[in-house]
Amino acid sequence: MRIRATMRLFLPLFFSLLSLTSISASPLKINGSTTVNLPVAEAAEILRAEQKLDIQVDTQGGSAGGISMLGDGLVQMGMSSKPVSPEDRLKYPQCDFHPVHIGEDAVALIVSRDVWENGIRALSKSQIKDIYEGRVKNWKDLGGTKPQRIAFFNKEPGRGTWEVFVHWLYGSPKAAPQVSFPEVGGNEETRSKVASTPGALSQLSASWADGKSVFALALLGEDGTPISPETQNIASHRYPLSRPLFVLTNGEPSGEAKTMIDFLLSDRGQALVQKHGYLPLKALHP
Amino acid sequence: MTRLLSWFLSTLALGGFALLLGVFVWQSAPIWQTEGTRYVTGSAWFYRQHQFGALSLVYGSIAVTAVSLLLAGPLGLGAAIFLSEYLPQRARLWLKIPIELLAGIPSVVFGLLGIALLRDWVYRVFTHFDPLSGDTLLTAGILLAVMILPTVVTLCDDALRSVPGRQRSAARSLGLTGAEVVWSVVLPQALRGIGAAGLLAVGRALGETVAVFLVIGRQDNNLPHPWFSLAPLLEAGQSLTTKLGGAETNIAFGDHLHWAAIMGLGLLLLVLTAGATALGTLGRTPHA
Repeated sequence: MRIRATMRLFLPLFFSLLSLTSISASPLKINGSTTVNLPVAEAAEILRAEQKLDIQVDTQGGSAGGISMLGDGLVQMGMSSKPVSPEDRLKYPQCDFHPVHIGEDAVALIVSRDVWENGIRALSKSQIKDIYEGRVKNWKDLGGTKPQRIAFFNKEPGRGTWEVFVHWLYGSPKAAPQVSFPEVGGNEETRSKVASTPGALSQLSASWADGKSVFALALLGEDGTPISPETQNIASHRYPLSRPLFVLTNGEPSGEAKTMIDFLLSDRGQALVQKHGYLPLKALHP
Repeated sequence: MTRLLSWFLSTLALGGFALLLGVFVWQSAPIWQTEGTRYVTGSAWFYRQHQFGALSLVYGSIAVTAVSLLLAGPLGLGAAIFLSEYLPQRARLWLKIPIELLAGIPSVVFGLLGIALLRDWVYRVFTHFDPLSGDTLLTAGILLAVMILPTVVTLCDDALRSVPGRQRSAARSLGLTGAEVVWSVVLPQALRGIGAAGLLAVGRALGETVAVFLVIGRQDNNLPHPWFSLAPLLEAGQSLTTKLGGAETNIAFGDHLHWAAIMGLGLLLLVLTAGATALGTLGRTPHA
């Protein structure tokens, strides 16, 4: 009796698991950067619904994972937030990496209104390091007219925004020092927390810095000129905290991969790029 | 037949719990092997450097729970005494229904209220102590207090009602005042049930995730120096549940040791909540 009851419980479960593993043959597999994943995954959903395409999008190993899995032939499309390096091409000679630029991700350092009104308009790289490593804790030490504590909100681990930030500051996420700050997640949360906290500073995708509730600081170049995260500075790469977003194929895209890329480059696809906080191609090449 | 079935189902439930515990022990085994007890006593959590010291997370959980119990305990007990000892039966029922409804409100709703009302309030009230923002361990504790209050009230009320009415009449006939009856007849006898109510509330507070997540600030490695210092309460912190509910859980999957460390947090949480709840439940059944 006991056994039969257990069987009754588990057999349907068992069969439903079995049916999960036997999905129809050869879907379009995409893997790579979590940053690029956002618009691509949404595009995949639309294509699944409208054109009945079978697409699997995954983010194992980020950009590096996207490049290596495409190189090994495990996926048909990679996603990367950095260009394919000559070393990558040497490592996978059998793969003809074909990058397609779909947009640009720029990260702004944003402050709350009271910091902005305290006279903070730009920071240098070394000043930002001082804040990040906890050596400077007051806006007065950075040129503010009145003393005010710095409330730094760090982007939580795994966020593309954080990775751009530490890549620029320290060369790689692994090289970044051990710090503990209050964490923020998505763009909406970051913006509202910074807007509602006096003395706040955080990293945010540039397109979210509205100039009304939060204000984007300029970065001081080597020669001391402030460079603000405006569209033309991002497009010309004068503003250093930005990176291109790519999807990659082996050779010229064809079949379902081409359908996907065509969609990403279409107005609707580019609107998805913009929706997730990145600069669409039109903004880069007006 | 009924007895057989109930035995079977009880064994199934117990077996389910044992299985759950087993999975967590098995999945977290690597971290116990490499770190040993330092995993619980270590104060630094930096996953990129593979440093896994869970002390600040345990501290965060205990701190917010303590704050919530300190606030909701006396308030809840007071409300329960009023409900059970001073209100007429009909009014008592009318008040108990909305209080129990409160317990059923999804926690994320409380979290949103916390963001809307509590964050700014804490920031303004404690501005003298110069908190960096309204997201603090204290904010989370106050929010939790509101959330566990219905549990405390209902269970304390049940405990007080379980004291036979005849004893109250007897005490009154000996000339004790109403307050004296509550203080020296009812409360001492309900003490065990009240303790159980507290423990069950602790179990709920320890396990609460979403609401706490929204107002705790999620800052790693916030520990008091010296250990009895209250200063960290006004700083952002992290509890076991907010760590598990955060971004790191997804990142950890695939990294052998990191995943084990995360599962270890699950095990710690399971042991703490199950311990509190089991003790509380035992306390509620006097003849167990």
